[in-house]
Amino acid sequence: MRFDLDLPKWKWPFYVARHPFEGFEDVRWKKAYHSKVALLIILVFFIVNVCARLMTGFIYQTVFDKIFNVVPIFSSSILIFFIWVVGNWSLCTLFDGEGKMNEIMCVSAYALVPYIISQIIYILASNVLTRQEGTILVLINYIGLVWSGVLLISAMKAVHQYTMPKTILAMIFSVVAMVIIVLVLILLVSLFQQVVMFVYSIITELMYRFSL
Amino acid sequence: MPLSKKTAALALSTVTALSALAPSVFADEAYYGYNYNWWSEPVPSQNGYVVSDIFTGADIGVGSFDEVSDMFVDNETGKFYITDSKNHRIIITDENMSSGTVLDTFKYGTEFPESESIIKNTTLNTPTGTFVTHKGDKTLIYIADSLNERVLACYEDGTIFHEYTRPSSDLYEDNISFRPEKLVVDNAYNVYAVIPSITNGMVQFSEDGSFNGFYGANRVETTAEVLQNAFYKLFMNREQMRARKRAVAIELENCDIDDDGFIYTVTSSKSSDKDILKKLNPSGENIYLNMGFDNMIFGDLSTWSNGKVYASAIDDVEVDENGNVFLLDYSNKRVFQYSNELDLEFIFGGWGDQKGLFTSPTSVESYNDKVYVTDSRKNSITVFALTEFGAMVHDAVEKFNRGLYKEAKEPFEEIILRDANYWFAYIGLGNAYYTMGDNETAMKYFYMNSKGGYNRAFKEYRMDMIREYFNVFMIVIIVLIVVLFVLSRVRKILKKKKDKNAKGGVA
Repeated sequence: MRFDLDLPKWKWPFYVARHPFEGFEDVRWKKAYHSKVALLIILVFFIVNVCARLMTGFIYQTVFDKIFNVVPIFSSSILIFFIWVVGNWSLCTLFDGEGKMNEIMCVSAYALVPYIISQIIYILASNVLTRQEGTILVLINYIGLVWSGVLLISAMKAVHQYTMPKTILAMIFSVVAMVIIVLVLILLVSLFQQVVMFVYSIITELMYRFSL
Repeated sequence: MPLSKKTAALALSTVTALSALAPSVFADEAYYGYNYNWWSEPVPSQNGYVVSDIFTGADIGVGSFDEVSDMFVDNETGKFYITDSKNHRIIITDENMSSGTVLDTFKYGTEFPESESIIKNTTLNTPTGTFVTHKGDKTLIYIADSLNERVLACYEDGTIFHEYTRPSSDLYEDNISFRPEKLVVDNAYNVYAVIPSITNGMVQFSEDGSFNGFYGANRVETTAEVLQNAFYKLFMNREQMRARKRAVAIELENCDIDDDGFIYTVTSSKSSDKDILKKLNPSGENIYLNMGFDNMIFGDLSTWSNGKVYASAIDDVEVDENGNVFLLDYSNKRVFQYSNELDLEFIFGGWGDQKGLFTSPTSVESYNDKVYVTDSRKNSITVFALTEFGAMVHDAVEKFNRGLYKEAKEPFEEIILRDANYWFAYIGLGNAYYTMGDNETAMKYFYMNSKGGYNRAFKEYRMDMIREYFNVFMIVIIVLIVVLFVLSRVRKILKKKKDKNAKGGVA
C-alpha cells in the first residue's frame, strides 16, 4: 500500500487498471470513490457498446438485425450495471460486506476500464483487419474481458474486505440476486400494467354509464 | 370541322377504352415472383418462368388422366413418359402433346423361359414412376409398378425383358413391404428404387436383377430420443431395447440423375432441414456436404407468417442438362429453381386453381428451357416458359459459375436495372469488379451482400492502400511517436530531479 498517492480524480481508474491487486486497497485507503468519474465511465461503456453495434467492420459484424435499436444495448449495459450494483450491495450488506452502494458502484465502474479500452481497439481494428487475421481480435477481446474480470474480483475483495473464496462466492450469489431482481421487476411491470388496464376499463365503463 | 372533332373524340375514347381493357387481356401471372435477400426476407422479384400452356389427357387424345403421379422426359429423343396412376397406364407423347400412345399391356419377352410356350400378358397396378434410358438403339423403359410390388423393365413396344421383384435377402426384412414409388437407372443399368417404407435409402439392383443393397440413406438426426436411447442402452438388454421406439432416418421421397451420372435424392420433411437435397457420389455419400451446403435450407426460408407455418416439403427434384436444380415443394405448391451451385434463382407456382397454380403437384421436369409440372388432382400438365429476364439470369449465373466474372458483368448490370431486388446480381457484379481489379467498387457491391467477397476485395484494397501511402504514413507515425515519447521522458526526468532537489533541500 502506498500512502503517498496523490492522484487527480480521473487518473484513479487507470491507476487501478495498472495495479490490479493493490489498487483497490489504495482506493479504499484514500477514499477515492469519485462517483462522477464512475458515471462517466458507465456512459462511455454505453457509447462504446453502441459503437460496437454500428461501427464494427462489415467482415466482423455478427448482428444480423436490419433495424438498429438502442433499447437492448441500453439494458445490456447501463441497466445491467446498476442491477449488479444493487444486487451486490443487497447481498453483501447481509454478509458483513463493508462496501456502501456508492463505493460498489465506483469500484465496479473502475473495473470496466480495460474492457472499454479493448472494445475501442476491437472496433478500430475490425475495420482494417481481414477475416484471416481474426484471431488478433479474439485475443484483444479476451484480454479485455479477463483483465476486467480480475479487476472486478479485486475490487469486490477490497471494497467489502472479504477473503478470496468469500469474494468469489459473493459474486456468484450477486448474479443470482440480479436474476431475482430482474424477475421481480418484470413481475412488477406486468402487475402495474394490469392495474392500469383495470383502472382504465373502470373509467371507460363509467364514461359509458353516465354517457360522458 | 365539328365532324372531324367528333371522330377525333370517338377515336380517343375508343383508345382509352381499349387501353383500360388491355390489362385484363394480357393477364398477369397468378403468382408473384419473389426471391430472398441478405436478411433472408422474401422480397418481390420479376418472374423467371411464366405459364405458356396447360395440357390434359384430352389434348393428347388418350382420355382424361386419373392421378398423374410422375413424368419423365427423355432428353435424347424428346419423348415424354407420363405415368397415369389410377388408369394403370403409361402415356408416351412428345413436346407438342397433341398425340400420344398408351402403354398398358405388356407381354413377356424371350428372356423369360415360359414365354416360349405361352404368350402371357400382364398389366400394371398403380404405377407411380417411370425412367427411360437407352442401350444401343433400344429404348429401355423402367416402370415402378407399385401395387404389383415390382419394377418392370420393357422396350417401347411393351415387351418385358426384366422384372425386378422383392429381394430375398437377409438385409431386406420380411415385415417391410416392397412398393417401389420412384426409380432411377444409372449408366451401368443399375436400378435404384425409392420405397416409402424403407429408411435405409434406395434399393439397388444390378442389371441382372440381383439385390445389391441399400444406397444413399439419410443421416439419423440427433434428437433427444436418440440420446435417450443411447442412455437406456447402457443397462437394458436386447429384448427391452427392441420394445423401445427406434430412432431412424427419414425415408427418401424422390430421386433424379444428371448427365454425369450423379444421383440426386430429396426428402420430404417439414420439421427437418437435414439431407433435404442430396447429390450422391457412387459410394452413396452426399457431395453437397463437402461443398459447404450442410446447413442450407431448401425451399422457403421464412417458414411462418401470421401464426401459420409454411415449411417446405420437397417432393421432387429435377436436374436439367445445364445442371440447374428444380425442387418441387408440395406443401406450398411452388417450384424452386437453383443454379448448379445452388444459388436460388427463381420461385414460381403457388396454391390454387388458376393457371400456373397447383393443388397437388407431383413431379417437375424440364426440357428445352421449359418446365413441366404435373398435378394429380387437376390432372393436367402445366408448361412454364423461361421469360426474357429468366434467360438473362440463367446466362449471367452460368457465366458466373464457370468463372467468367468479367463476361457476366454486363448481364448482371442489366438484371439490376430490371430488378434491383435481385440479390445474386450484386454478388456477381462484386466479383466482376474484383477480377477487374477495381476493389473499391467491388467492396461497394459486396457490402451487405457477401462477407466472403467483401473480405477478398478488402484484402486487396488494403494492400493497395498500404503500397501507395506506406512511406508517408510510416514517417508521420514514427516521427509522432518518437517526439511524444522523448518529450514525456524528458518531462518526467526533469520532474523527478526537481522533486529530489526540493526534498533534499528540506532535509
